[in-house]
Amino acid sequence: MKSTRKILSILLAMVLALSLLITGCGGDQKPAAPKADAPKTQKLKIALVLPSTVDDMAWAQSMYEALKKLQSQSKDGIELAVSERMGKPVDAGAAIRQYATQGFDIIIAHGAQYQSVVKEIAPEFPKITFAYGTGFQSGPNIFAYDPQAQEGAYVMGVLAAKMSKSKIVGIVGPVEAGDAIKYNKGFQMGVAAAGGDVKTRIAYTGSFNEIVKAGEIAKTHMDAGADLLTGSSQQAVGAIKAVAGKPGTYWLSTDMDQSAVAPDAVLASQVYNWEKVLTKIIDLRKAGTVGGQHLTLSFADGMLDLKYNPKLEGKIPQDVKAAVEKAKKDIAAGTIKIDLSK
Amino acid sequence: MTDFMEQGILIGIIATGIRLAIPYLLAALGEMLTQRSGVFNLGLEGIMLMGAFFGFYVTFVTHSPMLGLLAAIVAGALMGLLMAFVSVTLQAEQGISGIGLSMLGWGLSGLFFRLYVGGIQTIEGLKPWKIPVLGDIPILGPMFFNHNIIAYFAFLLVPISWFVLFRTTWGLSVRAVGMTPQAVDTLGVSVTKMRYQCLIIGGMLAGLAGATLTVANTHMFADNITAGRGFIAIALVYFGRWSPWGILAGSLLFSMADSFQLWVQVLGINFPYELAVMLPYIVTIVALMISFGRVWPPAALGKPYERGVRG
Repeated sequence: MKSTRKILSILLAMVLALSLLITGCGGDQKPAAPKADAPKTQKLKIALVLPSTVDDMAWAQSMYEALKKLQSQSKDGIELAVSERMGKPVDAGAAIRQYATQGFDIIIAHGAQYQSVVKEIAPEFPKITFAYGTGFQSGPNIFAYDPQAQEGAYVMGVLAAKMSKSKIVGIVGPVEAGDAIKYNKGFQMGVAAAGGDVKTRIAYTGSFNEIVKAGEIAKTHMDAGADLLTGSSQQAVGAIKAVAGKPGTYWLSTDMDQSAVAPDAVLASQVYNWEKVLTKIIDLRKAGTVGGQHLTLSFADGMLDLKYNPKLEGKIPQDVKAAVEKAKKDIAAGTIKIDLSK
Repeated sequence: MTDFMEQGILIGIIATGIRLAIPYLLAALGEMLTQRSGVFNLGLEGIMLMGAFFGFYVTFVTHSPMLGLLAAIVAGALMGLLMAFVSVTLQAEQGISGIGLSMLGWGLSGLFFRLYVGGIQTIEGLKPWKIPVLGDIPILGPMFFNHNIIAYFAFLLVPISWFVLFRTTWGLSVRAVGMTPQAVDTLGVSVTKMRYQCLIIGGMLAGLAGATLTVANTHMFADNITAGRGFIAIALVYFGRWSPWGILAGSLLFSMADSFQLWVQVLGINFPYELAVMLPYIVTIVALMISFGRVWPPAALGKPYERGVRG
C-alpha cells in the first residue's frame, strides 16, 4: 500500500512537471525527429533558443518576429523551431545539442549567456551554423552578432536630456552586465553630451525578469523627480506601464518598439534590424561560409535605428530632433566615438 | 533630517515598503494557516502565478478589477484543493508535490496567457483608494492611508487571523491537527477535513497575493511575474514562527529594507548595487539570527496522516 502510494505520488509530480515542459518547448517546434528514410527537403531548418518567451515584448520577441517575417518571405521555405524559457545555459545547451543532432542548418542561441555552451557544442557539428549574441567571439562555424546598443542609447540620452523638464532622467537597470552596461553607459554619455546639467540616476533590480520590481523602481524614480526614463531587458514592460500611469513622463525603449504597451508614454525606441543580420547569415551560409564572423548591428551599417512613436512625435521640438539626428549621423560617421571602457 | 522629510523620501520609502509587503503578507498568512494544520505547501509560487493570471485575465475581459480578484481567489482555492487532494488524500510527499504544484502553476499560467491573451496587454486595474480624513493627515496620510483596498485587507487580516487561530474552536482544531493529529482524530474531528479547509483558504490568499501583483501593482501579466515571491513568503512563515504578528514583522522588515535600497539606488548614494539588492535578505537573516526564543514548528508538519498508523 505504502509503495503504491509512493509510486503514485512520484507519477503525479512528474505529470505536473511535464506541464511545464509543454509550455517551455512550445512555439513552432515540430515534435518528432525527421525519419531517416524521409525524402530530403530543400527547406532551410532554423532553430531558435530563447532565454524568455516569444511574446516578451523585448529582446526575444524582436528576434522571433524577424524570423517569422523571413519565413513568410522565403521562397524555398524555412522550417522554424523555437525553445523558450531557456534562462539557464545548461538547459539551452541540451536544446542546442538536440537541434544539432536533428539536423538543423542554423541554430541561433539568442543571448550573451550562451557563448560558452555554443563554443562547446559547435566544434562537434562543423557543418551546422551556430549564431549567438550579444557577443564578439566567433568560431569556424559560429557567427557572433553584436548589437551596438550604446549607439542608440547615446542618441536617446541626447533626446532625454533635451526633453526633460525636471533635469533628472532615470534608468531602470536589470543587472550591471553585458548589454545593460553598454546601453546604460551609452545613455549616460548621451545625456552628458547634450549639456544642460541634466542628472542621470540609475537603479538595478538585480534580475532580467523582475517586472514588478522594475515597476517599483520606475515609480521611485518618478517620486524622486525623474520625468524621462529608460531601461533594457524584458522586465522593462513593468516600468513602462508605471511610467504610463503618470502623465507628463516618458519612456525610451530599446530592443524593439514597445509603444504598443503604452502608446502615450513611449516617446522613441531603439530597434534592431534582425532581418538584415539573419539574411546576411543565411546568404553567407549559402555561399559556403558557415561561420567565423563578428556581425555588428550599428547605425553605420543600417542595422540599428531610432524610431519615434508617431503618436508623440509632434511633442518633440524641431531643434531637439535636429540634435538627435546630428548625434546619429556623427556616430555613423565615426566622429562621435562611444568609449565604453571609461 | 528636515530635508529628508521635506523631499518626501521617508514617505516614499514607507509607502513603497507597504506596497511591496502586501503579496508577501497575504501569501505568508495563508501558508501559516496551512502549515499550522500540518501541511507544508511548497506550491505557493504556482498558486500565486495562477492567481496573478486569472486576476489579470478576468479584469482584462470584464474591465472589473473586483471580478478579477474574485477569479484569482477561486483559482487559488482550486489550486489549494489540488494540493489537498495530492498531499492529504493521496498522502504524497509534500515537498515533492509542492514543487510539482509550483511548476504546474508556472506552466499553466504561461500557457493560458499565450492561448487567451497572446502577448503583453495592459489593464486599467485597481487604483489606490485614499481613506477619507485619515488620508489627509500630513505625512502619515500618504504613508499609510493611500493604498489599494487589498493592502487594507491584508493588514486587517493579521489581527483577524490571530483571533481565528487562537480564540476560536476552529483555530484550536487547526493547531491541534498540526500538533497531534491522532489525538484530534480520536475526539471526532476529521484531520482530512481540517487540512482540506486550511489548504483551500491558504490557496485563496495566495491567489489574491498573486493578483495583487497583476491587478494592483503592474496592471499586466507576464510569464513568471511572481519571480520567486512565493518562496520568500514560505521563508517568512518560518521567520514569523507561525504567528500572524511575526509574519507581519517579517514582511514589513523585508519590504522596508527592499524599499530603502531602491531609494538608496535611485538617489545615487554611492553604494554597490549588488549589495543594495541583497540588503533585504541580509537584514532578514540577521534579524532571524539575533532574535531569541525557541522555535516550535507544528509537530506534525510535513507528515501525512494515516489512521491507525503511528506518526
